[in-house]
Amino acid sequence: MKNEVKKNEVKKETVRAEKVNGNEIGEKNSKELPFEVDRRSVYKCVQCGTCRSVCPVFEVVGWESANTRGRMLIIKSLLEGRPPSEDVLPSLASCTTCGICAAKCPAGANPPEVVEAARAQLVKCGVTTEAQEKLKTAVTTSGNSFGETKSRLHWLSDTERSKLPEKSDYVYFVGCFDSYRYPEFAKKTFEVLQHFGVTLLSDEQCCASPLLRTGFREDAEKIMEHNLERIRKVGAHTIITGCAGCYTTLKNNYPDEFRVISLPEFLAEHLEELNLKRLDLTVTYHDPCHLGRHNRIYDAPRKVIQAICTLKEMKNIKENSRCCGGGGGVRIGYPDISLELARNRLEDVPEAVDYIVTSCPLCVRNLRDAGGDIEIIDIVELVAMAME
Amino acid sequence: MDITAELRKIVGGRLSVSPSELYCYSSDASQVKGMPDYVVRPKSTDEVSRIVRLAYENEIPVTARGAGTGLAGGAVPVSGGIVLDMSGMNRILEIDIDNIQVVVEPGIIQDALNEALKQYGFFFPPNPGSSAMCTIGGMIAYNASGMRCVKYGTTRNYVRDLEVVLADGTVIHTGSKMLKSAAGYDLTQLIIGSEGTLGIVTKASLKIAPLPKTRKLVIASFRSAEVAGQAVVKTFSNGVIPSACEILDRVSLQVLKRYDPKLVLPSEGDVILFEVDGTENSAHEAAEQIIEVCSPLALSIKLAESEKEMADIWAARKLVGAAVSRLDPTKTRIYVGEDVGVPIKKIPELLRKAQEISEKFNLPAMKYGHIGDGNLHLALFIDVLNNDEWDRLNRAADLVHRTAIELGGTVSSEHGVGAARAEYMQAQWGPALEVMRAIKKALDPKGILNPGKLGL
Repeated sequence: MKNEVKKNEVKKETVRAEKVNGNEIGEKNSKELPFEVDRRSVYKCVQCGTCRSVCPVFEVVGWESANTRGRMLIIKSLLEGRPPSEDVLPSLASCTTCGICAAKCPAGANPPEVVEAARAQLVKCGVTTEAQEKLKTAVTTSGNSFGETKSRLHWLSDTERSKLPEKSDYVYFVGCFDSYRYPEFAKKTFEVLQHFGVTLLSDEQCCASPLLRTGFREDAEKIMEHNLERIRKVGAHTIITGCAGCYTTLKNNYPDEFRVISLPEFLAEHLEELNLKRLDLTVTYHDPCHLGRHNRIYDAPRKVIQAICTLKEMKNIKENSRCCGGGGGVRIGYPDISLELARNRLEDVPEAVDYIVTSCPLCVRNLRDAGGDIEIIDIVELVAMAME
Repeated sequence: MDITAELRKIVGGRLSVSPSELYCYSSDASQVKGMPDYVVRPKSTDEVSRIVRLAYENEIPVTARGAGTGLAGGAVPVSGGIVLDMSGMNRILEIDIDNIQVVVEPGIIQDALNEALKQYGFFFPPNPGSSAMCTIGGMIAYNASGMRCVKYGTTRNYVRDLEVVLADGTVIHTGSKMLKSAAGYDLTQLIIGSEGTLGIVTKASLKIAPLPKTRKLVIASFRSAEVAGQAVVKTFSNGVIPSACEILDRVSLQVLKRYDPKLVLPSEGDVILFEVDGTENSAHEAAEQIIEVCSPLALSIKLAESEKEMADIWAARKLVGAAVSRLDPTKTRIYVGEDVGVPIKKIPELLRKAQEISEKFNLPAMKYGHIGDGNLHLALFIDVLNNDEWDRLNRAADLVHRTAIELGGTVSSEHGVGAARAEYMQAQWGPALEVMRAIKKALDPKGILNPGKLGL
């Protein structure tokens, strides 16, 4: 009888465990399955639960499988031979890869990296969510994450487009969001950057971040190669981008052939040349995970803001900053969870601020969708106000 | 009977039988594993009572779980059955400053409770290293303590009343808001530390304490852990009771420095952190006394210069147990034999024997812990992909446990017995274990509450 009480039945098992209450979790099947993730990085996790206290998805969902420790356990079970099935997706596909777990992990584990690797393995096994597939199809067929068919540079006039330099040391990598959802950010960014001789790629495509974060590594390679060819053709040594997702992808996933710099860093480096005027505003700043925790860009955006107006910090900032809920494919895959995370993040906003400033269009979008009384703007909009 | 359907009637969507979900509830931070058949997340005492009654009627094991940070497998359903994830019952129901107590649900996180109490100038003193994630319910079930129990005592000293769901679903209260009572058996104390084997705690009234005006930290290093232990014994025998008294041996020190290179810690030796608290004058006086008493034995001794310096050291100390991979990425800390305790006079001997065991089995180890109350956290770490190291690890842990018992100590000072240390209960308790078994049988005749734990 399955539910029979078995007194003093004690199981002390190691990672080589073979059978637990009838469920096979041994190594038996592992050789037959293409599931392989770096075991060392998985076994760094000692299951202490530190991540449980900070995982923003867990805060909303409440099930153990929705926190980092749960995800690491599930990945461990797959490594030890549990056949990959759709059952793992609500856990592994709902991680925003915000990285607060990695920032807090005493053992130095890097769960977002492990989760992304696991997703890639699941893709190989054909285990994906509908949302993942939809996103992949959009990116691979249209070159952008929205499946838009119009030109990526639709926000430029024909004349402006024709005047774009073919060769330049600097390329402004616009990204899908600014191209199609916030062309006003793209326009303002380009206006600022034009003073420094920046050009655009004639045929930019998605940076591949959505594919990489959701496990479609092979598809990502192709699209990255496409962008690389365009960048090489322009001969640029520096790529500037205003999107945190594009930034981390260009910086950490593309070959190390050029310098990648975020818009806030570029602005901070050129503050004097920008002739910004002081504005009578008080703003707060939301650290995008892929700019902040993933790449430790905390000071540059603050330097730019403080050159313009007063900065009043949020309750949790820098490495403790809470995720907006938009990343890792969660916005598209689990919109309710994603919005709940954004609402939680808005609770960190201090009183009496005029704007919430951030430097990622995905954060702008998710935080705006969460409602709230305070307008959310991109850092380039603040800079544009100070240049008027 | 369709148990899934019955459970769903009670908790609705807060039930899972998904294999992945069940897997996430099949372990805690120990090496004990066991798959549940159902996981439920109750929201009220009534729901817990109905679930337990259902389990009682159908003889299904019920294992309560807080944040799953336990180190003995206490929350692991080794016989399957239902896991009650209590972490959703996490409200503070009342902050009663006039009676110097709070009423909480068991799922409240220790740090969250203290954050709420801070504005009133009070705190709940027991503070395990896992205070950022562990629940009060878990602390009560395992009589958790932590760094400050040397002065403030353990969870046991702070519980006034518990609401408990018994094995048949009956709900009782074990105490009241009274400071004292001479009426009948002390059921509160019986439930504390019973590891969910006698009942499920659904509410707790807790005594709280005023926050001290100031804290000071003396950092002293010694040529060996054994000498450090002697300094502790000497400090206590000179009449100083620190609010925390922690040992960090040289390996722990290396790990901490790797974790946060900015930490202001001695560059050599084995370190004792003595914290004293009170008013500015009393804390200063106690710190000076510790410096005077320990100086003849110490390689170096100093007072932390700022609150930040102190806070950083404590924050890092809390995480040291899991941080060993920072020193060597191929090694993982495995929590076995990690919580023994001995009478304070035996500390130097325990430290020496722990070192001998580490050397005998050729396993690197960190020695840290609440040395002020005789509790040593021996952290053995291995390459988890190496079977031979697993074997040596388990043999070393066994010897550590037996050594503690030989020295008149305990196999667990604050983490609990669970399933991980159940086999040592006979050796530690002898015939007293039969009394525990009789109590268990009286309160849980069908043996449904957390079976396979405490060696019962």
